[in-house]
Amino acid sequence: MKNTIIIKPNTPAKEIVAKVRSSEGVFITSTGMRDAGQSDFKNRHRIHDLLLLAPFYNNMGLFSSECHGGARWHVGVMNRKEDPFEEIEMLRELMPNVLLQTLIRETNLFGYRPYPKNVIEYVVSKVDIDVWRCFSFLNDVRNMRTVAEAVMKRGRLFEPAISFTQADWTTNSYYLGLVNEMVSLSGGTDEIILCIKDMAGVGSPARIHSLVDAIKQKYPDLLLQYHRHSTDGLAMPALLAAAKAGAKILDAQEDTFTRFYGQPPILGLIAYLEESGISVNIDRDYVDASVQKVREWISQYEWAESPFKGYDYNVTKHRMPGGAFPSSFEQAEQGGFLHLMPAILTVMSLYNRIVKYFDVTPGSQITWVTCSGIVNRYDKERGNAGVRYIISLLTKFVEEKNQCMDKMEKNEQEDLLMVFRNAPGDFKNLIMGGYGKLPMGWPDDWVYESTFGDEWKDKIKERKNSSPLESVAQDDLAKLRAEFADAIGRLPTDDEFILYLMHPKDAVEFILFREKYGEAPLHLPTNVWRQGLQNPGDRVEFDLWGKPYCIELVSKGAEHEGLIHVVMKVNNKTRVYTVETPRAKKIEIRMAKSASDIGAPINGSVWRIGNPERGALKAGDIVHKGEEIANLEAMKMENAIAAPFDGHIVEVCVRLNDTVQEGQLLFVIEKV
Amino acid sequence: MEREIKKILIANRGVPAVRIMHTCRDLMIPTTAVYSTPDRLAQHVLMADTAVHIGEAPPAESYLNMDKLIDAALCTGSDAVHPGWGFLAENHLFAQKVIDAGLIWIGPSPKVIEMMGDKIRAKHIAQKAHIPTIPGIDNVKSADDITKWMEKADVSFPLMLKASAGGGGKGMVKVEKADQLAQAFAQTQSEAKKSFGDSTVLVEKYIERGRHIEVQIVSDIYGNVVHLFERECTLQRRNQKIIEEAPSPTLDSGLRQDICFTAVRLMREIGYSTAGTVEFIFDINTRKFYFLEVNTRLQVEHGITELITGLDIVSIMIDVARGRRLPFEQEHIFPNRWALEVRLNAEDPKNFSPSFGAITRLKIPDGPGVRIANGVYEGSDIPPYYDSLFMLLMTAGPDRGDAIKTMDRALSKNLRVEGVKTLTPLLLSIIRHPLFIAGDFSTRFIEEHMAELISMFKEKNSEDEALKIARYVAEISALGPQKWM
Repeated sequence: MKNTIIIKPNTPAKEIVAKVRSSEGVFITSTGMRDAGQSDFKNRHRIHDLLLLAPFYNNMGLFSSECHGGARWHVGVMNRKEDPFEEIEMLRELMPNVLLQTLIRETNLFGYRPYPKNVIEYVVSKVDIDVWRCFSFLNDVRNMRTVAEAVMKRGRLFEPAISFTQADWTTNSYYLGLVNEMVSLSGGTDEIILCIKDMAGVGSPARIHSLVDAIKQKYPDLLLQYHRHSTDGLAMPALLAAAKAGAKILDAQEDTFTRFYGQPPILGLIAYLEESGISVNIDRDYVDASVQKVREWISQYEWAESPFKGYDYNVTKHRMPGGAFPSSFEQAEQGGFLHLMPAILTVMSLYNRIVKYFDVTPGSQITWVTCSGIVNRYDKERGNAGVRYIISLLTKFVEEKNQCMDKMEKNEQEDLLMVFRNAPGDFKNLIMGGYGKLPMGWPDDWVYESTFGDEWKDKIKERKNSSPLESVAQDDLAKLRAEFADAIGRLPTDDEFILYLMHPKDAVEFILFREKYGEAPLHLPTNVWRQGLQNPGDRVEFDLWGKPYCIELVSKGAEHEGLIHVVMKVNNKTRVYTVETPRAKKIEIRMAKSASDIGAPINGSVWRIGNPERGALKAGDIVHKGEEIANLEAMKMENAIAAPFDGHIVEVCVRLNDTVQEGQLLFVIEKV
Repeated sequence: MEREIKKILIANRGVPAVRIMHTCRDLMIPTTAVYSTPDRLAQHVLMADTAVHIGEAPPAESYLNMDKLIDAALCTGSDAVHPGWGFLAENHLFAQKVIDAGLIWIGPSPKVIEMMGDKIRAKHIAQKAHIPTIPGIDNVKSADDITKWMEKADVSFPLMLKASAGGGGKGMVKVEKADQLAQAFAQTQSEAKKSFGDSTVLVEKYIERGRHIEVQIVSDIYGNVVHLFERECTLQRRNQKIIEEAPSPTLDSGLRQDICFTAVRLMREIGYSTAGTVEFIFDINTRKFYFLEVNTRLQVEHGITELITGLDIVSIMIDVARGRRLPFEQEHIFPNRWALEVRLNAEDPKNFSPSFGAITRLKIPDGPGVRIANGVYEGSDIPPYYDSLFMLLMTAGPDRGDAIKTMDRALSKNLRVEGVKTLTPLLLSIIRHPLFIAGDFSTRFIEEHMAELISMFKEKNSEDEALKIARYVAEISALGPQKWM
């Protein structure tokens, strides 16, 4: 047993920094619980499986476990039906010795739009995370201010990250400028860690050595973490170069998670560093146990792996980040344009020299949607020839003519001035300054003409130079909360409300799912979660709230008129479930929705339409406020329905003696 | 005067029919059930020795159809009829028809039913007997009559409009303001007509924050009248009781003596025989009680009186009908328990909207101190045509706190009903509410605290949660991996 340093949660930020600084060798952040899954498995790794690693992590001597944030939050709510708050709670219980780390997108938090200050403060104050790695896809450090303040005020560790790419304009002095801003934002170097976030995996060993060295020379006390994806195939030497130049924390994942786009394998990395004379603060036995544990269940996730296999050195040109690989390919597959991927990646590599920013959320999505849109348009209009044409046009413009419009032919100029015409709203928002300032300034004027057409000059005048923190209006939290309560039919908890703030539509669906299916996402093993029970006699056993449960399949019926009957034993009691298939006939009941719709207040039968004085009512009749217009009977009690206002009846939606359900539409009345 | 009863037809369904059959079994008297078409496989039908189909679903065609009921008795060799509660239990014409057919009517005489069934006459009789009554006016013809009376007798809102022939909360409408009066009057008239076949309406001053206390009486045809103490039935929703207890936590022993002997005096006055109840409203501020009405039948909540006294009231009714004397005198009755009853209605606990359909799973509470009167079984249907009550749950203990604790256990850990919604969450919220525990409530408690009571519903249990997971497994097993995954 090795004597590893364990850094526990609730250690003050300053002490964490001091401890790492004064220790020999390097520390490891494990991305096994977040980025590994995001980069190669579409973030589908379920907490049910990840929890199996927690007891090993607890003793491993990790600097931290990156288990939160990025797209894991959204995919959790949308696809895995897991709540990021409940994940934290479960992890805290099983690995109380490990710092939990998140990845947060400055003003965009865990969502996709710039949030106002009051939302940022509210969210950061409620999420129980120890290490807050915060990046900006524009490297606009101004945008990090509110997150930094809120995190440091809580006494948690703030980790500003430089979004790194390798390009002619990303020089050491450019990055040192950012480091200066970050250090001054954080009040010095004693309470932060600074991260170089190489999200695409493009930093060559020499380049990384040079950058780390330059920062260490300027700020010898500053703790540096190097986060790198493997896409170009050069991760290991690049990490060693960073460590040799003075980086203290490196990111790695279980070897058994390793495919192509995530972090490098941890056991290999440890061996490589140690052989090179750099000690690693880690207990290899626990690492090994964790690596083996992953092997037991990782084959359950083959379906989630990217269809685009193998390292891709061209990433140094197209710069698609590791975290975006599987989701982009998934979209291409679903959209039926997987065959266009090589062309799209080529267009991306040219595009990112025209509009300069960093390909990481939400920038990577803007790049992806814009470039895949351009290629798809040419493919639809002119087929393969069109795709070849747009690539050659952009190549000529960028590589041969140095982006000089005057040097292009007339018809080529016309085409370039149309290339962004169908660009998505987020692209427009980006070049108008909606997300903050672009790292190399505004794109050339022709981009505006191409995007906005005739209005382009006005648009250029409207560009904003401020940070969204200054321009985005505060959200009315009470009002949003009420809207949300309306959608789910009850008051939400604070945690649920934050889910709603990040992804409104998906949060509502998530909550309704969980109300219907309870904790199914937390307790079912992954094969049952995906496939259910296959054969009679198949069973699933789990503990729920401290008690044992068993569900066993007895039989599955054949589909009949859109229904399948499933017989199961739940703790030995036989139950029959009627499951509707997509072919099930839906009897549509119209419900009262708008103010002019009069709905049934209870379940019952309509025994009178109208009232005794004037008899039955029909469409076209005038009714007066308070006048009885129908009467429902249920269990021998009468319920008079009164007209809520003066009006005329547009439609009588039920017939005498109909059985109606609560909320069912009875009348449409137009106010007069 | 003693007569033999060989077989009893129970002119009812559900909980009351099953309750009466239990005692008939104890007495080794065979039973005949009657059923409407949707009740063909109902619990009371399966329990009886013979069963007769008496018509279609609407009550008027079946359980209110006097001739069919009497034919059913005659053709099955039944020589007595017990009406249960509800339906024809307080219909003197039916009682008379039963007697005229040569059958034994297990209940008070048609004359007494008629006399007390007319609320106006009942009140007059009470007044004559110097029993306190609520200010009111009879035989109202129009909303105008009410306004004039209010001026003359110096009575203010709120008022209660009632069907003269009514009971059980049906045909009762509360009026808070003058502008509601006309519609409320029309509604009362119509409901009165529909439920009781008589549209006569009476009006009374509504006692705010009143408490509803009633006295159980048993008497024989020889003039012996004994009370079995009182029940408190204050907790109501829409004027229908949902929680009852015995004894009343409101009364001290002086008032208890007073109210019980007042009831005995009235029943003796009218020559009542068999089981019956005198209802009072108790004004907590003045500590005065007023006569409300006499229920000339077995009541839903009779079971809690049985629990505190150890007697079987249905058995007493049958014995009285057989011409036997009460086997005890007043001084022999010693209540020595506290009993609580909740009514399990198939209703949405948030808004009392009825919930009918099949009971797909039923687990009935057990354990010490619990008594169940149940009208259904697992797999049976709750049809939409009748009362939503499907089970009575009673608990008893040495004192009120014990009875409440046992009820909490029965409702929260012991009972499971799937397929229909029930009042269970609401009942649980009520018995856990500090004001209920303190005995501090009025007939308006539920309406006044509804939002708070609903907010207490949350409690989840692992069994419900496991079933949600099972539902998921069933769906995915049938449908395979889903797009959203």
